[in-house]
Amino acid sequence: MKDFRKYLMIGLAAAALSTAVPAWADQVLNIAHPALEQSWSPLQGGGHVGRWQSLWWAAPMYFDKDGKLTPYVLSSATHDGSFKTWTLAIDPKAVFSDGSKITAEDLVGTWNLCARPATKHARVNLFLGDVEGFSDVVLGKAKDMTGLSVAGDGTVTVKLAVPDPIFDQKIATALIPPVKISQAVDDSGAEKTDWWRPENGVVVSGPFMPESMDLDQGIVTMVPNPNFFGPKPKLEKVVITTVSDPITATLMLKRGEMDAATELITPTIIQDLGADFLDGPPLAKGQQFWFDISKPPMDDINVRKALTMSVNSQELALAAFPEGPFTAAGQILNKVPGVDPDFPNYPFDPEAAKAALAASKYKDGGHLPKIMFVGISTPTHEAAAQYVAEQWRKILGIQGTEMKPAIETYAGPDQKSVQVFRDDVGTRVPDAVSYLMGAIHSGSGNALNKMGGYKNEEVDKLLEEAAAKGVDDPDRVGFAQKAQRLFREDWMYIPYYYDVMSKWAMPWVQNFDKNDDWQVIEPWNVTIDEEKRP
Amino acid sequence: MGRYIVSRLVRWIPSVFILLLLVYALVYFGAGDPIKLIFLQAPGDVAYDPARVEAIREAAGLNRPFLVQFWDYVVNVAQGNFGNSLVSGRSVNSMIAAAVPVTLKIGLSAIVIVSLVGIVLGVIAALNQNKWLDNLIVGFALVIWGIPVFVAGPLIIVFMVLVLNLNVPYGWAGLFDTKVIVPLLVLGLNPMALIIRQARAGVLEVLSEDYVRTARAKGIPNYQVVMRHIMRPVLTPVVSQIGLLVIATLNNSILIEKVFGLPGLGRMTETAIKSSDYPVILAIVLIFSIVVMASNLLVDISYPLLDPRAAAKKTEDE
Repeated sequence: MKDFRKYLMIGLAAAALSTAVPAWADQVLNIAHPALEQSWSPLQGGGHVGRWQSLWWAAPMYFDKDGKLTPYVLSSATHDGSFKTWTLAIDPKAVFSDGSKITAEDLVGTWNLCARPATKHARVNLFLGDVEGFSDVVLGKAKDMTGLSVAGDGTVTVKLAVPDPIFDQKIATALIPPVKISQAVDDSGAEKTDWWRPENGVVVSGPFMPESMDLDQGIVTMVPNPNFFGPKPKLEKVVITTVSDPITATLMLKRGEMDAATELITPTIIQDLGADFLDGPPLAKGQQFWFDISKPPMDDINVRKALTMSVNSQELALAAFPEGPFTAAGQILNKVPGVDPDFPNYPFDPEAAKAALAASKYKDGGHLPKIMFVGISTPTHEAAAQYVAEQWRKILGIQGTEMKPAIETYAGPDQKSVQVFRDDVGTRVPDAVSYLMGAIHSGSGNALNKMGGYKNEEVDKLLEEAAAKGVDDPDRVGFAQKAQRLFREDWMYIPYYYDVMSKWAMPWVQNFDKNDDWQVIEPWNVTIDEEKRP
Repeated sequence: MGRYIVSRLVRWIPSVFILLLLVYALVYFGAGDPIKLIFLQAPGDVAYDPARVEAIREAAGLNRPFLVQFWDYVVNVAQGNFGNSLVSGRSVNSMIAAAVPVTLKIGLSAIVIVSLVGIVLGVIAALNQNKWLDNLIVGFALVIWGIPVFVAGPLIIVFMVLVLNLNVPYGWAGLFDTKVIVPLLVLGLNPMALIIRQARAGVLEVLSEDYVRTARAKGIPNYQVVMRHIMRPVLTPVVSQIGLLVIATLNNSILIEKVFGLPGLGRMTETAIKSSDYPVILAIVLIFSIVVMASNLLVDISYPLLDPRAAAKKTEDE
């Protein structure tokens, strides 16, 4: 009898425990990845691999769901008042998956390694471009940045070549995570091949650690990092499987064989997987059709005016995404503090467009050279570009237009005469100046490559002055807005749409919020609602 | 025969060299700069800086003259070293070593199945010429000939998932796993039409020959006439199609492996082309061309075994 009661109690306790197991027990997140990756190095600075970096690497700092700068590996980043010298303090609790501390040497070593040309980090300029000595390292003239130094146990001093009030925001990214430098670099200072593979004993700092990497099959599995210094992850496993074919990926998501995708764009994605799949918070990024002023007829401002005013931006966005979730663009700035509430959008005015073309040196559409678009790389962009061309034909009588895919893959004989680039601009820090510096300043890649060397000295001056102002200085935003309005008068673009940070996850994946770096913000919170899964 | 094989093998060397030169030149001058692609393919606010790209190119040894780079490549390949991927730095040899068995297993299985089924169907169609069975088989061959593999693959998956409510047969777990059935089917459909038509035409041609009529007049059972007197001459033109089958299978593998997640050369080709990773592209081209040349050689060697007249002619030629 006594035994019976004992067993009964044990049984009841077990039953109670089993019902108390949280909803996220036995949870595996299956991700469909679009490319067969041969490198999962965390020092690539982007690409599809980079989008899952926050799963296994801890960023120096990060922006939370509400856009608040949050400590992570670094417990603080402070400046000396001039914004030229920053002191970074590493959290003493921050450790790698083998339990060893993340050191100042690791941080400095990683950032130097990121900047070396052979590492091929795609975005290091954006984060560390202003550090003293960066240019020499990035061009292969030196191995280490003079502006980076270990100041003491767990402390790094950063000297910048120019004042940067938002340096702390710039380094809040999982794309430059401190790695255990002794594992990653060889004696010559180059990145070791395959050091990031689990069979080579990689130690990581994020909430998950790689369990296996089958690069030939394209399957990576991750399990919780037992020594993670942050909150305990709720998922039991993450499996990233290469599914290159979008139709296959869509069907696997629909059946619940996959839960999320790294990126999935098809013309029927909303009908297939629901609007929620593609939806997400607004992103500080917008798409535009940029005019290259070095190529006729875009060297004539009246032509640019005519082309812009003959397009209805609302209809343009709808042509591409009839069911959303993207919204029509107007000004360049979007989402960041400093969006100009009184910005006068370009009007849709066919009569004014005709008058502008008549005032140009070409007089009418029949005398314009053929206009070539590039960046028309998806069915949605094709629909938008066709709408634009049709408007130009109807209103301005322009017959000769041609559309090409992405510039990097288009190597045809007409490549040098492309006059209209469809491309995005944006920022990954919540800052209007940073946004516009990358979009309309004459030194930006956008001005140099897409706008044919566009340069407006007043715009440059305003932005440079704004960049030196503190984050809380109202002139920082004021000057940026003024620069944007001046830029408007040069008629350099047709606004297209503002991006959102698509979730690319099925409804049963919870807490899957991503930041502007495409990273899951807090991977330890991600769970799967099994009841909603098919 | 031995001399013939050796002479054919020797002729491969200049062919392969010219092929490599052409492909190297095409990729080098036309397919886009792989280093630039690293920056441009990453979406968003990518820090593309021409001076930096140049520094990376220098570090990777890509700014040397074309011929210098090509010669280095040829010397390395001659020593069995395909180099490292420009994108990942991974050894191309190890990538190829993992991918070749998968493509070979799938490709050879598809060719064997396609040949066997295709010949049987072709013979049945010919023996029932102008009857409903012939019309059915010829009609089937026409349909599968008309559906390109890039349509058939996704269509079958959509049918399986949305109509039959089955899981997507995705991934690789060995040749004897059930997941392989659908990719094999899709890979074989298109070439099977070729074999059916070839076998049918061959049988029809032989059926009117005197020796077949004589064999039948002697009272030999029909199946023996088919197996002994019809099949052998029919096999020669069918076998000559194997070379074409190999090419079709290799081409189709690029799409099939992508759609069904098979880790073979086809999927690797797609990835390498997208990123202009030319050490990988060149290694794949080299392997594909050697496979095609080897299959043509095998076809040539098999003629005399199947048809004594071909053996006699070859002896006369030699």
